[in-house]
This record gives sequence, structure tokens and C-alpha cells, in this order.
Amino acid sequence: MIIKEIMKTDLTSISPETKLSDAYSIMHKKNIRHLPILEKNKLIGIVTDRDLRLSTSRLAKHPFEPEEAVKKIMSHPVQTTHPSDPIESAAQLMRELRIGCLPVIEENQIVGMVTITDMLDALLLLTGVHRPSGRLDVRLSNRSGELARLTSLLAELKVNIHSILTYPEKDKTIRLVLRIGTIEMRVIAEAICNAGFEVIWPVQISCVK
Amino acid sequence: MAGSNIMCQIIYHPDYKKYDLGPSHPFNPVRAEIVLDFLNRTGCLKEPLKPEPVSALELTVVHDESYIHIVETVSCGENLQNAEDYGLGNLDNPIVKGMADGARLQIGGTVLGARLLIENKFNKVLQLGGGFHHAHRNFAAGFCIYNDLALAIKEMIKKGWHIAYLDLDVHHGDGVQEIFYSDENVMTISIHESGEYLFPGTGWLHELGNSMGRSLKLNVPLEPFTEGGSYLEIIDGIVEPALKWFKPDALIVQAGADAHFSDPLADLMLTTQDFEKAYRRVIELVDQYCNGKVLFTLGGGYSITATPRIWIILYLILFGLKIPDKLPEDWRIYWQEKIKKELPEFLHDSVPSFKPIPRKIEIEKHNRELIQRLMDAVALYWI
Repeated sequence: MIIKEIMKTDLTSISPETKLSDAYSIMHKKNIRHLPILEKNKLIGIVTDRDLRLSTSRLAKHPFEPEEAVKKIMSHPVQTTHPSDPIESAAQLMRELRIGCLPVIEENQIVGMVTITDMLDALLLLTGVHRPSGRLDVRLSNRSGELARLTSLLAELKVNIHSILTYPEKDKTIRLVLRIGTIEMRVIAEAICNAGFEVIWPVQISCVK
Repeated sequence: MAGSNIMCQIIYHPDYKKYDLGPSHPFNPVRAEIVLDFLNRTGCLKEPLKPEPVSALELTVVHDESYIHIVETVSCGENLQNAEDYGLGNLDNPIVKGMADGARLQIGGTVLGARLLIENKFNKVLQLGGGFHHAHRNFAAGFCIYNDLALAIKEMIKKGWHIAYLDLDVHHGDGVQEIFYSDENVMTISIHESGEYLFPGTGWLHELGNSMGRSLKLNVPLEPFTEGGSYLEIIDGIVEPALKWFKPDALIVQAGADAHFSDPLADLMLTTQDFEKAYRRVIELVDQYCNGKVLFTLGGGYSITATPRIWIILYLILFGLKIPDKLPEDWRIYWQEKIKKELPEFLHDSVPSFKPIPRKIEIEKHNRELIQRLMDAVALYWI
């Protein structure tokens, strides 16, 4: 999955001279937390709702006034991503820098924004249940061809795979969670077990081991 | 003894068995036949009312026309390239000639049950078929092609009734929930094994309904290996307050029997004794909060030796008849021969029925927390 597939392209931006109070009311009205700041169509900074609240707080040593320009508090240079970047690299960057948003830049122009919310939507899309399906949890040895062997077995059994998730385990094996389109999971699990795969879920299936 | 309770009725048609998805398919029409034969031999059977099939046109209340067209066409034996897009022609929903006719007849049975309640002819009706809760607006899933429950509910809300739907099948009642997700006239409650572990993968606590239907769709995703005691706590902790608050004009129950410990497709651990308690409790709630009106349908239940016993118990409770200890010898011999499996000597399971579940305490605690979390989630709405 790449950034282009999950970014928001309906952009709201402000200029460096925009007043803090105006930036605040734009965020409030549009229900957003990040505003890119453009000058002559170039991205020169970014401001978040947290920046606004902290800089104007009465608890701050020298609170900014509502009429002051947003350029005084904006973050710059801005960390950005590219439409064809994989989402995991953007997620890593956001995690590392502890930021909640990345403007998407293509040929020096801002073309979109990705936020943590978009990342969560992507996660839901990857792990979610979009068609009625059952869960099959299998442990694979980490060598080539194992997944192919498993999926061709499923094809022979005439079941459709709706999603595949994998993650590495500590002992160098691979856990594979498949969502497949059948209510008769035990029958499938037995066939898979009989073919020499280690089935984690469903439990207590009877197969020739 | 038969027919002693004039407010009860049973619905069945011998042609229900035309909805047969093949000899090795678990959704086996013989289950209802075994029940009927028991009732017949023991003199408990009230003559069933025979339904008419619904027409393909009547189904448009619930299903898309394009989907109905696909089902009817492949059921006539014609090959369609795009049938698979509609969930047809796979392991769960194989294409079998005549399946649409069998399905429409069973749908007719559930709709007849709804009409009997509406017309005040009977208060408690058992439809010995139907329960196709996985059928969606535009695709088939989990052995179901047309949604009889949704059509029956539509029939009743058309009359201005409020309907509660209770899904006791071990799988989430996703089709019914989806069709009424924003409907303010319909409350759906599904108690099932968690979608984390079991088909269809939905039915989470946070699925509470949309817009006007918000807080009227309730889901209880139970831990695998949940036992009867914990299951009954759910009925008391969730179903009772829900019905007490919603006060429906009638209740429709999908009485799938696959939460039984011996079911080959799922992992809950109810015994026949637990089912008896659950059914009695539900009927009490019907009399207290649902105008005394209830329609039961069948549903899942893939242990061929347990499922018929559970539905026999349901019939006997509904008709206020005594539950015998032993199963008739002639009935046992006849059906053992037919199904090639040994039937137990007694109607109820032997006790203890299974080895102790190691995580029992943990499971019970988890399920109790579900009650609390669900009640907290709806508290804002149920005022």
C-alpha cells in the first residue's frame, strides 16, 4: 500500500501571515488538527492544534497574542513524504519523530496530507473483515514455497482467501493468519494439518499427525 | 395430548428437504425429520401447518433484484460466470439444482409464522426450518442464500410492530443485523462465539447500529469454550434488560443449536440441559416483555446426534409438554440405521459431558466484562 492510496487530497492551507486566532477557527470549523502553511504555493511550514494551544496558553511564560502571525510559531522545515512511498516508511517516520501528520509532496508541490487517522484506516483495511469469513491461524517454517503450498491447497478445496497477514515469531517461524470464506473451518484445518502444516487455530482438530 | 395448547403452532413442509446442499454438506434437512419423527412416535406432534413458497418478487423487500435473478438462474441449472461474485458456487454455498425453490418454501414457512402472530391466531410458533441469518442483501454466505428472518421481520414492521430478534446460533447473525442496521423498529441481539475465532468474523461489541438504529443492535462475542452457566448470565445480563427496555410487539428467535459442545463447526460448550434452561428463560422473557408472542426458527447445528435432541426439547417446552428421560427405542434404532451414527439412550446429555475446561474462571470473567461493557455502551441511549 502506498501513500497515494490513503492520503487526503481535500486540502486546507493557510499563509504565514494568517492570524493565530484564524488558524484556530479554521481547525475548529473543519475538525482538523494540522494546517500546512504555503507561500507562493510552496510549503514552508506546518502548525498543529497543539502548537496553537501551547503557544497561546496563559500558562506559557510569554504567551502569543491571537492577532500574531502563524509564522512565529510554525514548525519548519517540514518533514514530508511522497505519493509513491510505502505507507510503512511514512509510519516509521511519524513514529520516530513523534509527529501526527506528513504533508505529501510531489515535484515541489503539496498534493495531499496523511495523518495518524489515515494510518489507522489503512490498518483496519488490512486486518479487517470485509466479507463473511473464518479465521485460520497457521505456523509456517521460514523457507520458500511454504505459503504457495498452503494457498494452492486452499484453492483445491475451493475456498476463497479474503486476507492474509503474517508476522515473524521469536523462534524464526512465521505466523500466518488467513481469513477464508468458509463456515466449515474444521474441515479445511484438518486437510491443512494432514498436509503437514501446524494449525494453531482452530484448536483440537483431529488430523493424522 | 397433542394440540392441548391451542396458542402454539408448528410449521413444516416435507418439501423443505429440497433445500439440500449435498450429501456431505453439514446443513442437513434430515435434522428436522428426526425431530418430527420423535414427536410423531411419542404422540406429541401437533399437525404442522404447511406454508406456500414466497415468490421471487416478494424477496425484493430484502434482496437486490440482480442477486435474486442470479440465484434463480443458477438454481435452474444454468451456468453463470459471475455467480462466484455473489457468494455462490463455493464450498459453503454450492450450486444445487432446485435450491432456490427449497429456500423459497422455507422462507414461506418463516413468513407464515410472522403472519400467524400478526393475525393473532397463535402466540408461540415453531418453524421447523429457516434461520438463514447469513444471507445478505446481495450475496450468499454460510449455507444461506435467502434471508427468511429478515423477510419475516419486514412483514411484521409493515404492520407497525416493533420486533426484537434474538440470535442464539453460535455464529454471528450478520445478514439480519446488516439489513436492519439503521432501522429503529428492529432490535437485534446476537450471542455468538467471537469473530476473532469463528465465522463470519463480525459481531463485535462496538457494532451498535447506525443513525436511528443506534443502540438497537447488540452483540455478545463470547470466548471459545464458554459453558452454559456463563451463557445464561448473558441472557440475564443483556437479553433481559434489552427486552425490558425495548418492549417489542413480538420476538423472533433463531434457535441454531451449534453452541452445543459436540458441534463440529464451533467451540462453545453448552449441554442439552443448558439449552433447556436458556429456552425456558427466553420464553419467560417473551411472556414478561414481548407481548407473549414468539416465533422460533431453526438454524445451525451440525452435530447430527445432538441437534435433533435440542430441538425436541425446544418443541416440548414451547408446547408445555413433559420432557421424557429416555429416547424411544424404535426411534433410536430407525435413525441410527439411517444416519449411521449411534444415538444416546437419553434425551439429555450425560453428566459430566466433557472434561473440565482449564480456562473456565477466566472465560467467565471475560464474558461478565462483556455484559458490563455493552451495558455501559448503550446506557446513554437507553433512557
